[in-house]
Amino acid sequence: MEWTRARRRWAWALALVLGALALAVPLTIARRQEPTPRGTPVNVLLEDFKVQPDAAVVPAGTVSFRILNHGPTSHEFILVRTDLAPDKLTLQDDGLTVDEEARGIDLLDEAGGLDIDERQTLVLDLTAGNYVMYCNLEGHYLGGMHAELTAR
Amino acid sequence: MRSSPPAEAGAASATQRTAAGGRSGIGRLVPRLPILGDLRLGRRLGWLIPVLIVLVAAIVGYNARAIDQQRGSALVVYTAARQRAFVERYTMDVLLVVDGFQADPEESAEDVREPVDVLLDGGSVRAPQGGGARVEIAPARDWRVRRKLEQDRRLIDELIRTGDRLVAGGRADPQDPQFKANVTRLRVLSAQLSSVSNDAVREITQQTEASLSRLVRIEIALGLLGVLAALALGLLLRRAGAEQAAQFRSLVNNSSDLITVLAPDGTIAYQSPSVQRMLGRRPADLVGTALGDLVHPDDRRDVSVSLTELVEAAPGATANFGCRLQHNDGSWRHVESICTNLADDPRVHGLVLNIRDVTEQAALRRSIGDLLHNLARRSQGLVDRQLELIDELERHEVDPDRLQELFRMDHLATRMRRNVENLIVLSGVDQRRRWSESVPLRDVVEAAVAEVEEYSRVQVVGIHDLTLAGQAASDVAHLLAELVENATSFSSPTTRVEVSGSPTGSGYVLEIEDHGIGMSDAELAEANRRLAAPLAADVAVSRMMGFHVVGRLAARHGIRVQLRPCWFGGVAALVLLPAVLVGSAGEHPAMAPPVPAGVMVSPEPLLLANTTQSGWQPRAHLPLRRHGAPAPNRGGDTDAAAEAGEPVE
Repeated sequence: MEWTRARRRWAWALALVLGALALAVPLTIARRQEPTPRGTPVNVLLEDFKVQPDAAVVPAGTVSFRILNHGPTSHEFILVRTDLAPDKLTLQDDGLTVDEEARGIDLLDEAGGLDIDERQTLVLDLTAGNYVMYCNLEGHYLGGMHAELTAR
Repeated sequence: MRSSPPAEAGAASATQRTAAGGRSGIGRLVPRLPILGDLRLGRRLGWLIPVLIVLVAAIVGYNARAIDQQRGSALVVYTAARQRAFVERYTMDVLLVVDGFQADPEESAEDVREPVDVLLDGGSVRAPQGGGARVEIAPARDWRVRRKLEQDRRLIDELIRTGDRLVAGGRADPQDPQFKANVTRLRVLSAQLSSVSNDAVREITQQTEASLSRLVRIEIALGLLGVLAALALGLLLRRAGAEQAAQFRSLVNNSSDLITVLAPDGTIAYQSPSVQRMLGRRPADLVGTALGDLVHPDDRRDVSVSLTELVEAAPGATANFGCRLQHNDGSWRHVESICTNLADDPRVHGLVLNIRDVTEQAALRRSIGDLLHNLARRSQGLVDRQLELIDELERHEVDPDRLQELFRMDHLATRMRRNVENLIVLSGVDQRRRWSESVPLRDVVEAAVAEVEEYSRVQVVGIHDLTLAGQAASDVAHLLAELVENATSFSSPTTRVEVSGSPTGSGYVLEIEDHGIGMSDAELAEANRRLAAPLAADVAVSRMMGFHVVGRLAARHGIRVQLRPCWFGGVAALVLLPAVLVGSAGEHPAMAPPVPAGVMVSPEPLLLANTTQSGWQPRAHLPLRRHGAPAPNRGGDTDAAAEAGEPVE
């Protein structure tokens, strides 16, 4: 195809614009690596100030926790294995947050800093036993953000 | 000649021709930028400049917006942080009150509510810098921030309700379960509020960071585009400049005229390549040499005078002069130059000479001069024969009436002869007769008066007993005759014209005064200009022939002629005869200086080859009235005077 002068000029202009955009677009867009849900799915809804799983009992083995923070404020999701009642976890000295290193509590995993309507998935292998899910932001646990889960 | 309006001829007007610039499209909408000077914008430059301007404006605008946003964000964060402090103070006040201490939770409750209300609904808060100034905060717009702030407000309401219950209960038993539950609830709510406030602050900060990051990215993109546009603009400007420079070089190189720049010391600082064509010399060979080396020796003085005057003139002044320049083959080229003083221009720092080859014109002019001269010579011979015949008739005529008629014919023929001689003068051919011996000045004056038809109106007074150099006698008589005739022609027949003389330090001044209609200042200036610098023969000269002839004759002998208004009306013509031409009676004046070459039409006046020694011939060149026609106001011995001297023909 014969390239006319005008066409070459437009091609140059297009190349310039694309080059500028390529330089301007941040190169550090984080691609979030969400784990593929596996095993038994458990949908957990976080909101002020409640933790609402859609199942209280799951089979032992791989469990995918699909967490959605419904807000209106940010929350975190913490899963501990414990035989204590959900509202009887040991508190830290401030009396407002759970002491995650206390005896009788085994921290399994956590998803922190969930903003409003943010979703996150945790895939965990659960052995048979009792578990407690809670939010450990100041006052949230005491405000009622905890729930019990049993794996059999 | 006085009434003829001077025709402005030869006034060279420099017309700047600009090459057709390629401004089209948006380029036409862009005003010419002063910084670009005469650089014309091409089409690409035309659209690139607006793009660059828009980019710069966008960058500036985004910068301003980013700064404003950052300032607003800082205020919001400050306000949110204050709210957390208020919550903690309220909680502390409530706990102090129930513990029996003095505190004012109600006032603290008002403080707790204010920040969240302002952040949600907009309003003013105290400026962080203090001083009592208040700063406006716009309502939060982001839905996430608003939801968190609304939750904040709900928690505050519950906190205050819980606090009110505790305060209303007064000091209670610490072991009271209800009391304990309320205290715990108060602390949990306070903690939740801290958490939510922190969350809101973090959200606001993240929003601001994201916004700023977006702005920075946009600015980077705009900056990059601006850099690209500036680079393209620079390249295009460079190319446009190069094209114009090439165009200018091409114009200069291919011009038939020479462009020469003279340095202050008179050497050639720049020489355009066209010198190769005109003078057969290479420009590089001429740079650094003196211009005077190329100029004909006879022209050097005039060129030097013109350039010196121009250097001393104001910056930007121009001067015209003609001269001959030597070709590489040894021949001489006649040139005319327009010279401009650009010594103050740092880019030139010298005199710019635009030199045009007029050799062909000079040859043509000389040819026309020869033609004029030949024709005039033929007429001159016929008129001389006619005068001889009239003279013969006058000698034998006894009837006074017929004699009077013959005198009138004599005058007309004499005038015709002077016209013919004018043509010879204008032809540029120096064919004058020269007497080797001096002539009484008074006789020369009277001979001039006798040439005029209305000689009887002319009064010659106070001419000193001096002599005039013989070689100038004929021309001075001719010159005076023209001036006297001009005076009689443009004054009333009832008035007299007075010719007088007086010595000066530099020579002798003859003054011809009339009582005529006078001349305006502009006419006087123009006439004096013609007298000082007579032009080559052309149509304008034919209209003001008398002044041009006078100017040429005066230039031959270094005589200065000037017209001045008389205080009583009319015009006085002053003729300054240089001292070298004038001597006392019985003394031979010095020889007149050579005629400056610059004032001649022909640089090499032709002299008749067959010149012979002969006596003073008044009939031929100083015609005098005889046979009862007395010399004007003097009577006298004109014949004897006319026979003095020996003309060399």
